[in-house]
Amino acid sequence: MHETHYLFHIFGLGVTSTVTTMWAIMLVLTILSILATRNMEKIPKGIQNALEMVVEMLLNFFSGIIGYEKARMFLPFLGTMFLFILISNYSGLIPGAGHVPGLAAPTSTWSVTAGLAITVFFATHIFGVKAHGIGYLKKFLQPVFMLPLNIIEHFVRPLSLSLRLYGNIFGEEMVIATLLGLIPYFVPLPVMLLSVLFGLIQAIVFTLLSSIYFYEATEEHH
Amino acid sequence: MHIDLNELIWAIINFLVLLALLYKFLWNPILNTLDKRSEEIKSNLSSAEALKKQAEEMLEEYKKKIADAKSEAQAIINQANKAAEENRNKIISQAHEEAARIIEKAREEIRREKEQALKEVRDEIATLAVMAAGKVLEKSITKEDHEKLVREFLAEVGEIQ
Repeated sequence: MHETHYLFHIFGLGVTSTVTTMWAIMLVLTILSILATRNMEKIPKGIQNALEMVVEMLLNFFSGIIGYEKARMFLPFLGTMFLFILISNYSGLIPGAGHVPGLAAPTSTWSVTAGLAITVFFATHIFGVKAHGIGYLKKFLQPVFMLPLNIIEHFVRPLSLSLRLYGNIFGEEMVIATLLGLIPYFVPLPVMLLSVLFGLIQAIVFTLLSSIYFYEATEEHH
Repeated sequence: MHIDLNELIWAIINFLVLLALLYKFLWNPILNTLDKRSEEIKSNLSSAEALKKQAEEMLEEYKKKIADAKSEAQAIINQANKAAEENRNKIISQAHEEAARIIEKAREEIRREKEQALKEVRDEIATLAVMAAGKVLEKSITKEDHEKLVREFLAEVGEIQ
């Protein structure tokens, strides 16, 4: 990993190519959303229909794992995470990503995946406390001697989440970059097609695990 | 492999901002629309269910009505048949009676006619007998005998009177 290159600073925070790419992704997603929901119609068509299908698909997917009630409640978080990671993964397939200043797949750096995993970590405990109040902490004492292991488990989760995502996306990009360097024509194509699949799988895995953490944190005591 | 704190903080900020934006422009409106739509479909389905039930009830009612009408019609037909049967029997028995009466009358008539005829024949025979007797007597008796007979007859008649 080469030294982080800052394009410029805002509020003292260095802005890198991955950050600008994130902004671009945010912009695209927000504009699409505004276009889709600007004039909501009873019988959806065009972009409204397309995004409704995406939302329904995600809702059905998470409903199948954590039940409709919880899926409906957590969908904004999980759905946003899914779309953000998915498009971040795919942004690495744009020619020049990682080389052109201002364009780099956000999920190909550990910093970004760690940031996302940390949001999941805090969201998990916030949802847990919201659902059970202070009684949420009792979950860590079942049984009492498991307390240290339970705590470790909760801190390992963001680590595994972020490393899995980062490792996969970074690895794919390295493979494609290497292949492009060796034989620039045709050979990288199958790998790039596989990357499309892996990008989707990694986005699903990340949000799927997040949804399970949320479910676990908010489920009723037994 | 290292963590750049600037990128990490940006990732958190960006995600939270995107979450807020998409919540306002994507999740909230679309989830509400989906809820509304499923609510509407549910209410449409339940009203369709109610209408179906109503239609079934009406169908049942009409079936019952038709069955009632059929049985009523059957009853009317039965009654008509019975009345016709009765009427027929009555007419036949009347006809029998009438026939018997006519036969009786005819017999009476015949009897009367016969009697009349016999009487007439008897009278005719008497007259013919007298005439024949007269013819016989006319040849055998003389004028004096005849006058004598008439006188005797008249005398007898006069005695009776």
